[in-house]
Amino acid sequence: MKKGVVIFAHNSREVDYALTSVVSGFLAKKNLEVPVTLISDTSTVEWMDKSNIYDKALRVFENIIEVDRPVYENSRVLHDGINSKTVPFINANRSDVWKLTPYDRTLMIDSDFLIFSKELSEFWDSDVDLMISPAMRDLRGDRIGYHDIWVSDEGIPLYWATTVMFTKNSKTRLFFDLVSFIKKNYSLFSEIYRFRNTIYRNDISFSIAKHIFDGYEFIQNNHLPEVLTAQDKDLIHSFYDSGLRILLSDPISESASSIVNLKGRDIHLMNKESIVRISQDILEKI
Amino acid sequence: MKFGYLLVIAKNKKIDYLRLAYALALSIKITQKPGYDKVALVTDDTESVKQLRSPWVFDRVIEWNEKQFWDGRSWMDELTPWKNTICLDSDMLFFRDYSHWVEYFLKSETELFVPSTVYTYRGNTVVDDYYRKAFVFNDLPNLYSMYTYFKSDSELSRSFFKLNRHIVSNQDEFKNLYLQKHKPKIIGTDESFALSSKILGIQDEITYQLDFPKIVHLKPMIQRWPWPADTVSDHVGFYFDLMGQLKIGNFQQQNIVHYNEKTFITEEIVSILENIIWKK
Repeated sequence: MKKGVVIFAHNSREVDYALTSVVSGFLAKKNLEVPVTLISDTSTVEWMDKSNIYDKALRVFENIIEVDRPVYENSRVLHDGINSKTVPFINANRSDVWKLTPYDRTLMIDSDFLIFSKELSEFWDSDVDLMISPAMRDLRGDRIGYHDIWVSDEGIPLYWATTVMFTKNSKTRLFFDLVSFIKKNYSLFSEIYRFRNTIYRNDISFSIAKHIFDGYEFIQNNHLPEVLTAQDKDLIHSFYDSGLRILLSDPISESASSIVNLKGRDIHLMNKESIVRISQDILEKI
Repeated sequence: MKFGYLLVIAKNKKIDYLRLAYALALSIKITQKPGYDKVALVTDDTESVKQLRSPWVFDRVIEWNEKQFWDGRSWMDELTPWKNTICLDSDMLFFRDYSHWVEYFLKSETELFVPSTVYTYRGNTVVDDYYRKAFVFNDLPNLYSMYTYFKSDSELSRSFFKLNRHIVSNQDEFKNLYLQKHKPKIIGTDESFALSSKILGIQDEITYQLDFPKIVHLKPMIQRWPWPADTVSDHVGFYFDLMGQLKIGNFQQQNIVHYNEKTFITEEIVSILENIIWKK
């Protein structure tokens, strides 16, 4: 059974997802010791060439698969420390991973998820066909809102599609077809599951599909680990071989009040600009 | 008979408890395997039982009119016709076979078990103590009498229920002695069970960590919602299908549901359950 990691990256005018995907791919390959495939689009790949990271991308990725750029375009406010801007993000084609992955057992990760441990390797040989992270764990511990846990006030638990592992078979094909169906009928599902549909969220589509897949129940086990997350107001201070130092923002004062030394722990970094800023330190290792 | 369920009801002007008990007995007969599907009903009105379309769902009907309302459940050990009994509140429904839970109690020769964990309709353990102030302030074990397993020939059970009856009959005395930090208006079965077990020092023997029974408790303020609520049905739909299965909001219910809202059992729901049992 061929195992590997898949990362999606479609650049927007504001965020260099191509760059973050090379960083994320490099760390995934190094720490999980499996090949990594990038799924991207022509303009993003061309940008890699222009920004002189294409050679590095070729060394990191086993395959670079070009697909049509998704037409779905969301925008949301992203912070970079105390600064913020509204940025578009293009990520609505994750449900295509089943068709696109070259692997029998795939770990799909977000391009802002940096792997520094072997923890996810424990799940390659699991006989559970599909595993998703059931929760986000805030790095500081006290910055989780109700809707980081639940899709809606009375509704289902929110899974975090930051990490998804699956075996390519007919059962998981059904799952990803279902995610695709939910995406196409997002407005209808927002009525049934009572969430705001102003922006499309993969996490919500995956959560609904998982809920339906599990027989409209929350299954307590067979999940990937919780996604340890640094908020977008947090700033990466520095990178070193086995981890990061991160300045944590205080939700009240909004200033960076403490620093955490994160060693050997996988981390979801919502502050994309912060990854871009430290990327040169990581790219030097490639 | 080795094992059976026991339901204790009394006539009430506002609530038709017989209808609730009938729906529960129908759901037990539909879902439980033979040997684990016996139901005895204790009631002060046996004539009304005879008017039901399928009164045979009650394997035994016991006439008893010495106590009203929930006080009757304190006599469950004396009223049961079974050697091993689970006494249930009447406002509950079964949705799948739970006989393996009963088998555990029978095989382990459990003398008395009262759960201390209940669940929300979304499957989370209830942690909110909104309705349990008397338990928290008076440091009582967090017992839920809605599902009480006991062995009739057990000295432990006998002592427990005997003291329980004494508490229910002498409420003011026990409130003043043991519930000073938070006095409930009345000592209900949950409170009296908790007091009995605490006074006898048997809480660790009669309630402990088990993965079952799994009972969904539909009181509104314990559902982990981000706002206060008067009833659960104000906020999520109850979808009861022709297979006798229940979905609450987006969640299929697989465990015993203690629905609390007595108006939930309509004539239509009773008819659905009757149709299923008649075709079985």
